[in-house]
Amino acid sequence: MDLKYSEEDAAFRDRARAWLKDNIPRESRPAHGDAIARFDRDWQRKLHEHGWAGLNWPREYGGLGLSEVQQVIWYEECARAGAPNYINTTYIALMHAGPTVIACGTEEQKKYHLPRILSGESLWCQGFSEPNAGSDLASLKTTGVVEGDQLVVNGTKMWTTDGQFADYQELLIRTTHGSERHKGLTWVICDMRTPGITVQPIRTMMGDEHVNTTFYDNVRIPLSNVVGELGSGWKTAMSTLAFERGTGFIGDQLALYERVNQAIVLAGKTRLEDGTFAIDDSAISGRLALIKADTMAIRSMTLAQISEIQQGSNPGPKGSIMKLMVTSTSKALSHLVAEMIGWTFMEYNDNKNDYPLTYDYLWSWVYTIAGGTSEIQREIIADQLLELPRAR
Amino acid sequence: MYLALDSHEKEIANAAVTFLGKEFPLERLHGEHRDSNRLSEFSKLGWLGLSAPDSVGGSGLSIVEEMLFFLEMGRIAGPVGVLTQILAVAAAQSEPDTCRRLINGEAQVALVVEQDSQGKIRLVGDDNAGYALAVSPRSATLFELDISACREVPCLDRSVKMYVGADSALKPVVQRPGDEVWLKAQIDVSAMMIGIAERALNMIVAYAKERQTFGRPIGAYQAVRHPCADMAVRIEVARCQLFFAATAMKEGQADAAMQIDAARLVAERAARENTDSNIQLHGGIGVTDEFSAHLLLKRANLLWRLLGSSKINMKSLLEPGGEVTKERG
Repeated sequence: MDLKYSEEDAAFRDRARAWLKDNIPRESRPAHGDAIARFDRDWQRKLHEHGWAGLNWPREYGGLGLSEVQQVIWYEECARAGAPNYINTTYIALMHAGPTVIACGTEEQKKYHLPRILSGESLWCQGFSEPNAGSDLASLKTTGVVEGDQLVVNGTKMWTTDGQFADYQELLIRTTHGSERHKGLTWVICDMRTPGITVQPIRTMMGDEHVNTTFYDNVRIPLSNVVGELGSGWKTAMSTLAFERGTGFIGDQLALYERVNQAIVLAGKTRLEDGTFAIDDSAISGRLALIKADTMAIRSMTLAQISEIQQGSNPGPKGSIMKLMVTSTSKALSHLVAEMIGWTFMEYNDNKNDYPLTYDYLWSWVYTIAGGTSEIQREIIADQLLELPRAR
Repeated sequence: MYLALDSHEKEIANAAVTFLGKEFPLERLHGEHRDSNRLSEFSKLGWLGLSAPDSVGGSGLSIVEEMLFFLEMGRIAGPVGVLTQILAVAAAQSEPDTCRRLINGEAQVALVVEQDSQGKIRLVGDDNAGYALAVSPRSATLFELDISACREVPCLDRSVKMYVGADSALKPVVQRPGDEVWLKAQIDVSAMMIGIAERALNMIVAYAKERQTFGRPIGAYQAVRHPCADMAVRIEVARCQLFFAATAMKEGQADAAMQIDAARLVAERAARENTDSNIQLHGGIGVTDEFSAHLLLKRANLLWRLLGSSKINMKSLLEPGGEVTKERG
């Protein structure tokens, strides 16, 4: 084992740090409306113009093809500099759709979509979950019927994050009539401007509208938009989910480190009801120290995982361990901060930028539910890592 | 930057598994039989001089290999005396003769686990210990010990002997200033706690595949599967942090002591909660003397007390980090 960075990696860190220092936006990201997408596109365009787009994409598709170590360095520097969170309206395009098109798409699909994703010109959303197919994704019912050179789609998708801003959607539908479970599904690129699509916002308990229900009423999609084979959409979809559970959340894992340090500073200047500083309260400091230890351990786990990837092993169920750990630690942190700040916590106006600490508290449940609930992650660990008998 | 075992490190880990896995089944700890330190067996194979310099008859390996050895020692609830002996070698490194006698097991050492301001001491060790070792963040001291002046008291973990007495039984021989031995001790004990946590998981997973209730193996129920998954998470988190911390110490990284503090906290949680879940998920058989689950619980209790309360590890973690540059937006 070896914790030293090569000269090349150290030089990369210096370059990233210097560029971020001069280029991160001065204003914070808007909390509501179209301004959100504008902000994200602008940042992505800037990253692209200066050669920082598609860190993990292969060079032949316009990415940087960075080693995992350099990806970690980039995200650490972003967190350190307070750069915009990369989990934004460009996330699905850059971290899901793009990599899927690279893995399973046709030359034409690659040529059209990949440059537009990298430059921030096209934003994507995901169309996987349905009202009755969340954790059990394979029970999805939205159908696509082949008519000539088109698929005619009918049904409903749910939890479409940022669907109101998206130009395209990665859509998973059932194209074989009467098929069950993982069979007979198709992964298709859906242009969100196609007639018959209605996007209806879902207001969340945070008071924002980042998720939607999407309705499809005889939506006609060209068959040339199918990614992978017609009927083998599950295979195509799994290439993205494995990606998300592997390295897709590296930035979040590392950003947690900054959040904990900020909480420690806050605890040093926040007085409790009895007048003592929060950091001097043994109940609070004990929890905070353990959260800090977990955060350091998450960073170590990130480095261990990328080292194992270098050895050629697939993160597999260890990605589920990572998701469980990152989301539960993040939840513990935002809840501890909420307790620490007393009544100030109750001041909230549905605006993340005005009251970030209350927002983080509410967001913690989104975190432990979205992208595979904590319960589903435990099932994956029980099945794949511990090989316990299955009841399902 | 590489945080997975290289081929040399794997070799050491495998050597430890081969020796300990074969010679030290958990069954040896049942009944009234005490697990004697069996120091000569460890000494013969060179484990006591694992990380001591060649000049005193050691193997000159690093804290990383030492950590890998103690992970395996944890899995078999190995003799605590071996830890004391290895730490004593590190404490006595300025005295080659003493070191040699410690490495070949001729001089035996008990560990001072408690020492109060009134001069009362508590030791974990053997009745033929002629030396005692006290380790703190400031120094490590090897004493001559008059064990006959101490009184044996019964210990919850029957595989060790425990003594109380007065510090007049201790006569300083050699002191090593600084935190080097303390940090080693933290890593070694953390490794053993993770080993115990792993053994607990293996025990319940094996049982969950076999034991049937309501016509199914209990491992098919989420009430059992999910706590098992949580056990696996605690282990993975603690293992990765310990690997990082041991490597940071080996390389002399500036934040090594803080990394070790974090490793101790997460390792202790893994030992504490996994030995608990193991008993609970076994049901009735889990609380019987005949079954081995309680041995892991008792050993875990010994280990997390061995170096004092982990409160001491929290201080460095609560220092404001230097990386705070901007409020989050």
